[in-house]
Amino acid sequence: MNRGLSRGLAIGGVVLLAILLLVALAAPLLAPYDPDERSGRPFARPSAEHLLGTNDVGHDLLSELIHGGRVSLLVGVVAALVATLIGAAVGVAAGYARGWVDTVLMRAVDVVLSLPTLPLTIVIGVFAGPGLGTQILVIATVMWAGVARELRAQVLSLRERDHIQALRAMGASPVHVVSHHLLPAVTPLVVPQFVLATKTAILLEASLAFLGLGDITAKSWGTMLSLAHSRSAFLTDAWLWWVLPPGLAIALTVLAFALLGFAFEERARPSLRVRSRPARSGPAPRRVARGDGPALVIENLAVTYTGDAAAVADVALTVSAGELVGLVGESGSGKSTVAAAAAGLLPLAGEITAGAVLVEGRDIATLPADELRRMRGNRIALIPQEAMSALNPVHPVAEQLAEAVLVHRRVGKQAARRRAAELLTLVGIDPGRGRDYPHQFSGGMRQRVVIAMALANDPAVVIADEPTTGLDVLVQEEVLALLDTLRRTIGIALLVVTHDLPVIETVADRIVVMKDGRVVEAGPAAQVLTAPEHPYTRLLLGSALRLQVPEPAP
Amino acid sequence: MGAERSAPHGGDTLRHGGAKVGQYGVVVWAAATLNFALPHMAPGDPVQYLYGGDSLGLAPELVAQVRAGYGLDRPLAEQYGAFWTGLFTGDLGRSVQYNRPVVDVLLEYLPWTVVLVGVSTVLALLLGVALGAWAAWHRGKRRDAVAVAAVLTLDSMPGFWIGMILIAVFAVGLGWFPSYGGAAIDGTGAAWLADALSRMVLPGLTLTLATFGGFFLLTRAAMVTVLDEPFIRLARAKGVRDRSVALHHALRTALLPVSTNLTLVLGSLLSGAVVVESVFAYPGLGRLIFEAVSARDYPLLQGAFLLVTLGVVAANVLADLLYPLLDPRVRRGGARSAPGEVTV
Repeated sequence: MNRGLSRGLAIGGVVLLAILLLVALAAPLLAPYDPDERSGRPFARPSAEHLLGTNDVGHDLLSELIHGGRVSLLVGVVAALVATLIGAAVGVAAGYARGWVDTVLMRAVDVVLSLPTLPLTIVIGVFAGPGLGTQILVIATVMWAGVARELRAQVLSLRERDHIQALRAMGASPVHVVSHHLLPAVTPLVVPQFVLATKTAILLEASLAFLGLGDITAKSWGTMLSLAHSRSAFLTDAWLWWVLPPGLAIALTVLAFALLGFAFEERARPSLRVRSRPARSGPAPRRVARGDGPALVIENLAVTYTGDAAAVADVALTVSAGELVGLVGESGSGKSTVAAAAAGLLPLAGEITAGAVLVEGRDIATLPADELRRMRGNRIALIPQEAMSALNPVHPVAEQLAEAVLVHRRVGKQAARRRAAELLTLVGIDPGRGRDYPHQFSGGMRQRVVIAMALANDPAVVIADEPTTGLDVLVQEEVLALLDTLRRTIGIALLVVTHDLPVIETVADRIVVMKDGRVVEAGPAAQVLTAPEHPYTRLLLGSALRLQVPEPAP
Repeated sequence: MGAERSAPHGGDTLRHGGAKVGQYGVVVWAAATLNFALPHMAPGDPVQYLYGGDSLGLAPELVAQVRAGYGLDRPLAEQYGAFWTGLFTGDLGRSVQYNRPVVDVLLEYLPWTVVLVGVSTVLALLLGVALGAWAAWHRGKRRDAVAVAAVLTLDSMPGFWIGMILIAVFAVGLGWFPSYGGAAIDGTGAAWLADALSRMVLPGLTLTLATFGGFFLLTRAAMVTVLDEPFIRLARAKGVRDRSVALHHALRTALLPVSTNLTLVLGSLLSGAVVVESVFAYPGLGRLIFEAVSARDYPLLQGAFLLVTLGVVAANVLADLLYPLLDPRVRRGGARSAPGEVTV
């Protein structure tokens, strides 16, 4: 859900809630009659005096409807408030104290959550007796546990934040840490919990009232429906004015809270994601005859993300068959955007606004979506950043390798499986392990599988985006040595994107340095490494040398 | 390098399973103990809860007799022990309203609820997962917003109210289906079955409509998260077709969090059954709970509560047993354990 739609839903919720609250507050002014007064004859149809008719004893249904909101909202909001406060107290205590306190509290929470909500509410409600106060307590008793579980998780992560850890290390008292640092941080998280709890509480109140456990002296919408049910109003025309309005009122109230809660949840999610781009009108297509020149040519490339200035501008580079080119820069330099654009995998918000990406002479910036898909994994392959999580956890690796073959080649499953075994052997993995799942492999092994996948269809161009991130130093060297061997033996054009200059300095033929979305230096590796022209390159070389310490293994 | 595996090993799975069994044991214990404690904690004499509201008018000596009959004159600990002995021998007391053992009444109504809730669960699951996955795939587009708004609206309607509206429109107005009941008492064979099925359409539809929103929101949230995972990007980089990315990669993986959160939805399904059965006078446990509340038949109400709790626990155990079929990472013995690495 993008920001606009999410905000639209939230505004809808707020407006709806404001109207309902106003009507509830102004009920005595708005209602034409006292809802407990026999203002007409029983079972009257709608008329000018009684817009929604009357009930079985002659009470005005419109007045009951207007007043009913007070009871439904009061019970819902107060019960949710009580439940949220109890839940917050339990959640914060469990999350902050941890140890046995946490274990005991969370066991209790799990038990309450495992009991069937409405039957539990009914059983307690029947014994507690009627009355608004007991109803509120019963609903709160059933509902606190959900809030507690949610907030405990939040507190656990807050607790590990640096400044809280520092305070604890300095010996600040738990009371001080909780009241001055934890509670202010938790409060914003409590609000969505309260909103969602209110939604549930209002529905629970309606169900309780419907089952005859409401307070007959303070009629809520649920109580109205309960009476309509017991008088069989839904078997006659009366359902139109006796059953429909109170149910709609409940639904609108619950919806108002649900919309708010949903908007809170969506706001907590990242909004960008990768999506194959639809065909669009970009720069005019450029075609060069196949075999003419380098396998990958990037010309004057500019990429813009929605609403931002160009992330990348005027980038040019070429990679020939059998060549290894290093694309180097710090994070934010635009190098990963170039890699994504070259692989035809820009995020949905990203767009190529100028230039061309030619793979074997075809400009992938202007290809229709389906033709681009046919190129990906076939003529141009990507080895993505996240070696540890790049493989699907629920499919065996050989199946994932065979899939790469099957999407591009008309071969049988057997042939695809044989190819998968070949590919595993090629990257130094026992083909017998193809039946294993990704979690059964180490990080280095998984990266080998990903490399094998990229080679599945003998692509012309392979783009390796930080292929060694998250791997320990020895494995990094192995992976690069493997890539180096493969590009020489198979003759692929290999573009390695990295922030770590030393990683590629021994294997790269040429190096391209990027800073702030632009190329600042490019040339043969030996020249760039020994006589860097741009101060930024010198800085990269210097900082890289200073920082050449082993990264911790994942 | 072999130590980087993240999945639990066999021992962890076993220990985890043991903790789960303990957890479910505690849930059943808590429900039973709540049943025992409520009559003692509630205002008034426990006799009135065990014997029924009629006890109020009884002569004092008769009340004393009833108290002795229920063992209420003995120490609390002893009563608690006797209560558990009763549970294990299948004695849940006598229903005031039916004047029969609670267990007998419950077992008579149970099959109806199992069929209704079973069918509705399957329908709600299929509908919710399919629509939720569809909405997540189109996340950020207008059709996603429309689907979310529609489902939130439907989810905001009380189940019993949906039932009343469906009766008014389809049973009374259009006359397509019977409005109440489980099946005609007389009648045999195919005619009886057809009648029973036609009476199940509206309650089943109501329950499905009232509960599929939970599956929808669960699936949509899980799928939206999965779609941001690196392995989805890799699948696209491989050139996999959109449909296959959505089903084979994203939905298949999104089913894992969906199934671990089933507990929450199952609870709401059973809660929905209570009110929906009441509206349709459908002869199941929900209807029984409704009647027990109206008649203040406390033993029957408590028995039904305990049985529903057992049902939720049983459904959870089933979900736990099936989970390894979905997630290879918790499978024991299935996939071969990883030998050491082969290096070049």
